[in-house]
Amino acid sequence: MSDPFKPRPAFAPWDRRELPGLFDVEESARRVGAYKWIEMRLFEALGGWIATVPELDVKMILGRHCYHHAWHAELFDKRLPELREMNTDRLCAPANDAMEAFVEALHEPDAPELTIEKLVGVFRVLMPRKIAAYTFHLNGTSRVTDAPTQRSLEFILQDEWNDWREGEMLLQSLIDTPEELERAIRRQHELEALVVRAGGITGPGTIGTTTEVEGAGV
Amino acid sequence: MRKQLPPEMLARDSRFVRTSIMDQILDPRNRKISERTIGPAKLAPGRPASADRARNLMHGIFTGEIQALEGAGRTMFDFDETEAPFALKLDMARQCWDEARHVEISIKLGEWMGTEIGEFTEATFLYEAACAPDPVLRLCGVNRALEGLAIDVFNTMKEFGDVSGDPVLEFCEDWMLADEVTHVKMGSDWLRRLTADDPERLERALDFQRTVDKLFSLGGFRGETDENPVHLARKLREMAGFSTTEIDEIAELSELARAEGKAAVEAAGSA
Repeated sequence: MSDPFKPRPAFAPWDRRELPGLFDVEESARRVGAYKWIEMRLFEALGGWIATVPELDVKMILGRHCYHHAWHAELFDKRLPELREMNTDRLCAPANDAMEAFVEALHEPDAPELTIEKLVGVFRVLMPRKIAAYTFHLNGTSRVTDAPTQRSLEFILQDEWNDWREGEMLLQSLIDTPEELERAIRRQHELEALVVRAGGITGPGTIGTTTEVEGAGV
Repeated sequence: MRKQLPPEMLARDSRFVRTSIMDQILDPRNRKISERTIGPAKLAPGRPASADRARNLMHGIFTGEIQALEGAGRTMFDFDETEAPFALKLDMARQCWDEARHVEISIKLGEWMGTEIGEFTEATFLYEAACAPDPVLRLCGVNRALEGLAIDVFNTMKEFGDVSGDPVLEFCEDWMLADEVTHVKMGSDWLRRLTADDPERLERALDFQRTVDKLFSLGGFRGETDENPVHLARKLREMAGFSTTEIDEIAELSELARAEGKAAVEAAGSA
């Protein structure tokens, strides 16, 4: 039996977590506030659309996904006071005006014939952007100091992957004709242009900045 | 997307056939049916056409669940956070997931009972209760009145599953009942919180609930005698937070609705 009083390293040999991370408290809080804002706008839109889509399977899936995004918003809301932001409403805001314009455009389709447009906005534009932003945060933040955010992001990303896959499959099952394909592409293009202008979910730098490295590409 | 979606704009595929609740109650054939002496109206396996009546009721539950899903979704979208606080929206999102599951259960149960989607008509009166311009009224109309009715209906169907030897029906209804008790509690909690400093708003909401409760009693559809197909589930309603006085009031409203419904059928038949 090993001696329980023999000193061991504080960190196990396989624990490669490091200090510091890319974000200080303020920056992490700003990003989390933007995440909460976008999750709220998304679950509200999904909830509103349930009554406007005639496809029964889509209706039920929107109902389920709607709760997932509400839960994500709740996790982010709970994290904000821990990031020194006691007034959680202050940071629950769009990254910039362009992001607000993107969400306004995302919410736009209303008619029952526009299920493809509704789903493209969510599953081909917004969710890939969210997955990118959350993955960047997860990979970039300190896994020691910002561990609570990281833990939430891991749960959330699992939902995002599952829901994105289901949404993409829904779209593939709905797009049958060249005209429907054209509608999907057009819608994606319109919304991508807006989200590019915004710089992503948290504005420019959402997934970091690409800096030129001397000798790169040589 | 527009705010406040009217019932006529609810999106459905081509299998669904819409009808109005008044057309159903005032159908002149109802008089002939009520004149027949075929025993009590309570859902019982020995009664003629009980299987068809149970299938019809199950289809009604299915369309009701769709509308409850749509109503909860609209409450999230139609109001900003000054009207519907963040925590209320989270509860509505949770309810959306629950109602989506209930739609799934209802479809599978319908298939189990031999029913196709669209075999029976759909009335939109449940969603109409979710169109009130004040979220507190919606909570009273949907979470307390409609979900309260759901407790009565599911309990009736669960008992029918038990006495008719259908364990699948009994199993599913019991699970849905558990969710509905939560939804009623949710409605009562938010009613209290949102009207804490506004007794007039509370009274308006309770008035709306009485109106919806009476409408949901549907000319004797719900009550406490063998003449009512759906029975008031007193014990489960108490678990959901209804007081004895409130339950007594619903029983009185149901009796009133039964008498008014009977008079309407007679008037329609003699016209």
